[in-house]
Amino acid sequence: MDILRFITAGNVDDGKSTLIGRLLYDTGNIKSDVLQSVGGDDEVNLAFITDGLRAERAQGITIDVAYKYFTTAKRKYIITDAPGHFQYTKNLVTGASAVDAIIILIDAINGITEQTRRHSLVASFLRIPHVVVAVNKMDAMGYNEVVYEQIKNDFNSIAEKLHLKNITFIPISALKGDNVLEQSVKMDWYKGITLMQCLEGCEPVRAKNDAARFSVQYVQDDGVCMGKMLSGSIKVGDTVCVKPEQELAVVQKIIHGYDEVTESKAGENVSIYLAGKAKRGSMVSHFYDAPTLAEQLDATLCWLDGENVLHTDKEYVLRINAMETVCRITVLHKIDIHTYEEYESDVPVGINEFARVRVTTNDMVAYDAFDTLPENGRGIIIDAETGSTVGAFVCSVAG
Amino acid sequence: MNNQIIYRLFFLERFLAEFHFMDHIDALEAEAIYIFREVAGQFKNAVLLFSGGKDSTVLIHLAMKAFYPYKLPFVVMHVDTGHNFEEALQFRDELVARYELRLVVRKVAETIKEKGLEDAKGKFPSRNVLQSHTLLAAIKEHGFDACIGGGRRDEEKARAKERIFSIRDANGAWQPYGQRPELWDLYNGSVSNVRNVGNVRNVVHVERNTKNVRVFPISNWSELDVWQYIRREGIGLPSIYFAHERECLLHNGRLIAVSEYIEIEPEDVVERKQVRYRTVGDMTCTAAVESNAATIDEVIAEIAASGMSERGETRIDDQLSDAAMEDRKMKGYF
Repeated sequence: MDILRFITAGNVDDGKSTLIGRLLYDTGNIKSDVLQSVGGDDEVNLAFITDGLRAERAQGITIDVAYKYFTTAKRKYIITDAPGHFQYTKNLVTGASAVDAIIILIDAINGITEQTRRHSLVASFLRIPHVVVAVNKMDAMGYNEVVYEQIKNDFNSIAEKLHLKNITFIPISALKGDNVLEQSVKMDWYKGITLMQCLEGCEPVRAKNDAARFSVQYVQDDGVCMGKMLSGSIKVGDTVCVKPEQELAVVQKIIHGYDEVTESKAGENVSIYLAGKAKRGSMVSHFYDAPTLAEQLDATLCWLDGENVLHTDKEYVLRINAMETVCRITVLHKIDIHTYEEYESDVPVGINEFARVRVTTNDMVAYDAFDTLPENGRGIIIDAETGSTVGAFVCSVAG
Repeated sequence: MNNQIIYRLFFLERFLAEFHFMDHIDALEAEAIYIFREVAGQFKNAVLLFSGGKDSTVLIHLAMKAFYPYKLPFVVMHVDTGHNFEEALQFRDELVARYELRLVVRKVAETIKEKGLEDAKGKFPSRNVLQSHTLLAAIKEHGFDACIGGGRRDEEKARAKERIFSIRDANGAWQPYGQRPELWDLYNGSVSNVRNVGNVRNVVHVERNTKNVRVFPISNWSELDVWQYIRREGIGLPSIYFAHERECLLHNGRLIAVSEYIEIEPEDVVERKQVRYRTVGDMTCTAAVESNAATIDEVIAEIAASGMSERGETRIDDQLSDAAMEDRKMKGYF
């Protein structure tokens, strides 16, 4: 059994929470006392299952991300239920950052909306591997194939601009259950898979076996480095390179769990004996396959702070994995969320806006391009005064 | 065996060695260990909140594994409500001795006395809300900058909304409507500009304010995941998690253990039942379930077949209102 993490994104009334309720309910993953608390079997308000806060239930909207869990014979699912409102996009970005798949819900009655465009941009920004476009409320449109095909065409033009790949389109009715678990009898013109079949077929993102990257999280007094193998593998006896310190060291011993091992593999939490050359924030690699080391990086940035805009004359803290340093950010272009075109603007980057930026750092930073080694090609911007996370970025092609 | 078969077996073995599959339990364990190491890397004075229940016992096991062969880089604290199951206390002391943990105990009864609070009253007096006062006082007394807890998102709908690193204000209150963004596995535990930020220059050192961080390493685990992990790792638990005979009071369809902490009236129905505990909280507000499950395998089978949720079946304190947990978290509860 493995784990698949997916997010549902949709506009306020696109039926997102209803879909999650449907998935949980139809797979037998709602316990009877929980069902009772949302209205009992006859008149279940499926949305109330995910709206966990008082204000959400009172207003009938989702404000922040909720996590729900269900299992099938094949795998454990982690559902991230994200808000649809424009103003809560930053919460959507939080929820979408660590998923294997995104379900973008489109209301068949309204077609593609501004929020669809925004959710697609988030999917593209984060390079979510699997994109599922679920055209919902097909029941309200008489299960009409033409409606579905029109929306599919419209979305494909968005996908092309955003370079979204691996898109699966499915016409559904979350309310009635069409094409969610069971193949719809009302839409015999649709020959594709159901939503559940689609999820069962998605391959989860796994740490890959390419360039070795070991991120040091914590160093014991005797110099033993505890951290995570982000990708690739390191063996005992390997000569490795520690950045940004630019030190070479020979791996003396590796511990995984309670065992001494000869090799650490991608995805594992290990302890590596390196003779005191590294500290928290160091990136360990092979010297022949090392990350870029520079005091400047280009990135796509999403601003997440509702209180302050991005100040180009202010010092922020940049963090990639456990590495932190002071930085300044220059805006190269803003990205229009409707057309996805880049444009120049003197207006500061504000909450929920995307921009291409150049970041200059006080210290050397060891990073990779997000497209080649995502685990070491993404980071956050922290406001040193409040400690809060105010931005997220993905690194462009390494310089 | 002919050469071709040997040749094939050789490649099968190579393939299996290369194909390194993480099942869901491995993945959850890896996530938790990573979180523990982030706590060690980001905080100077963290504390692990331990109750004697299965979730915090699993936390201790994960922490031991995360820092093996070293000792835990933080202390363990029990906020003692005074309404404990004897078996849970005994288990706590055995575990502390075996793992050589540094244990801090803070008693709710003493907080009540010191702060002149009103003790819980009624038939089933629950100090569940009162223990937040003790927790907050202990955080202040010890200067804890992070509290690690065994809360899981699938337990309860307000918990389902909380971040892994959850920032609490100076009063320990959760701010559900202004949670910090939390992207990828970049957990940000900074609460002001006091931290030694890597190799940062130019950051003025000011005194840490009293905000602190709650950390939930097993947020993404279900009850079943916890039990499967307990089975896989051979983790010991207090005996009351398994079937035993007990004098119980039958109250609104729930079985409450007979103890000195509850009021028993003449008209009450007291029966001797074969029960086990699905969760271990206070004796006054945790209900037992009728069960014959005496082994881990039997417990797993029972949970998988159960039509009731964990807290729904066993906690009296969540039933008070639709937002009971949210309200408690706003007052410093973990």
